[in-house]
Amino acid sequence: MIITAQKPLDEILDFLSPYDSILIAGCDGCTQPPRGLREAKTLVQLLELGGKLRGKNLNLRATTLPKQCDSYLTLTALQSQIQGIQAILSLACGLGVQTITQVLPDCPAFPSQNTLFMGSEIREDNTLEERCAACGDCMLAITGGICPVARCAKSLLNGPCGGSQHGKCEIDPGKDCAWDLIIKRLERLGRLAALQEIRTPRNFGQVVRPGKITE
Amino acid sequence: MLLEIEKCQVCAICYSSCPAKAIDIIYYDMHSLTRYLENAKEEYKSDSLAIMCKGSAPDFQDVGKLFGVSKFIPLSVPCVGRIPPELLLKAVSLLGMKNIYVLACDEDYCRFERGSAITGRRVTALNVFLEELGYARELIKLKRNSLKVKADRSKCITCGNCVFYCPYDAAKLEQGAASFDLELCRGCGLCVTLCPAFALDLEHWEQERISTLISESPKEKGKASILVLRCQWSVFPGLDEEFDSNVRVIDGPCAGRVDPLHIVEALQNGMDGIMIAACPQEDCRSKTGSKEAQRSITALKKTLSQIGLEERLHFCSVAPRYPEAFREELNQFKVRIENACSEEARQ
Repeated sequence: MIITAQKPLDEILDFLSPYDSILIAGCDGCTQPPRGLREAKTLVQLLELGGKLRGKNLNLRATTLPKQCDSYLTLTALQSQIQGIQAILSLACGLGVQTITQVLPDCPAFPSQNTLFMGSEIREDNTLEERCAACGDCMLAITGGICPVARCAKSLLNGPCGGSQHGKCEIDPGKDCAWDLIIKRLERLGRLAALQEIRTPRNFGQVVRPGKITE
Repeated sequence: MLLEIEKCQVCAICYSSCPAKAIDIIYYDMHSLTRYLENAKEEYKSDSLAIMCKGSAPDFQDVGKLFGVSKFIPLSVPCVGRIPPELLLKAVSLLGMKNIYVLACDEDYCRFERGSAITGRRVTALNVFLEELGYARELIKLKRNSLKVKADRSKCITCGNCVFYCPYDAAKLEQGAASFDLELCRGCGLCVTLCPAFALDLEHWEQERISTLISESPKEKGKASILVLRCQWSVFPGLDEEFDSNVRVIDGPCAGRVDPLHIVEALQNGMDGIMIAACPQEDCRSKTGSKEAQRSITALKKTLSQIGLEERLHFCSVAPRYPEAFREELNQFKVRIENACSEEARQ
């Protein structure tokens, strides 16, 4: 799912400063931590508090949308709620903000979140970890189910590099070396021989940014 | 006898069971209980007594409904297992009680393991004894009640928080929505606090009910107002517990039910300081409630620091075995908030 972190309240209050009536829209889709109605209501209270301290009374309303990255669902859910609304503050990832921008071209939409990465939720450790880079040329079949593109700081396809120290990455010793994990995993599966083949650079043509496909 | 105070949970079952009356306890001792009943008899003008464990219901509405009575002397205690049988006899023989209603938690859910079961046995024995003495049959009536989660499956967004965080494995995702095994649910409310979609609620501790209680908190002009959200197992209030007029205390089923949304609502409603009293993590009656509460309050404090309000929120761990701890925390916090408010007023 898409991992986001809330922006500092001051930053949000700054870009909302020209507006008085704002709809705060949560997203019940995949964002983690969940950014649904509870988060939207909490943000209403926090921004009203912050606004008061700046001497401004904000008129904020909370709602939540099933999936902000869906243009049809977002338009139909928002249409009935935007009377008298001057701006929308989205709790979704960057996709949500841009979907709103697309379906409501006259209503300014702002992000309350910084969108960080696509991550797995490791509940037991209380962490959210980037594990897929959406590179368009998936090599998990060869690397024992562990992605070096997303999880190696250098995105090496033939690792590890000389900076792998006791299973940790030289860039950030707090993180596992992806190639150390790959080798241990392949060893465990008895497939270490798969690494004898040198992998050529991945096919960057698979996804030409910005990515777009037609369903 | 040696008492290891660090282990004591102040359930008082030892006190209510000791045949030699060698153990006394500061909360709800025989003398205070008797005095309370004597005064309450005058005040309530009733010959019915209702004793309720705090864990089985937050107020006496349920007692009335479950037993079908409207007028009674209320006595709310943390676990009915602490009530010595002598008190019940005294209530009948000296105070002339005609009915005694006892509402305990379901045996399996007793926060003190055996308190509810022991009470069941005591009530059976006392009823036999009283009947032999010529009193009405089944003069003491016992019922059991436990609070449970309520799930609105249509609101569920399948985030899985309840499944992961439920300390009792009562939640699972089934056919696209959370569903609960109510036999396993112990009503701690942690899942309710962590549900991002308001799909869950807790009997008697509903989101709305707590919001209303908070909005009714007293606010006096020129006086700092303090809200305390407290786990009902972290502090055992005396029978005559009183607070200053600017302090509002709301007991909840567990610190895990302390909702960051309620805290910001309270601040937004003009409360000047919010204090959260939780049990020490190792004493938590809902396994992980206190730990999770501390985590979410710490996160909220961080957010509040962005608008300079972090000092308005205070989290503390207190245990009934140290009866002064709560008051000390509250007094210190109150002074801090009062100073902050008068500082603000000066500016």
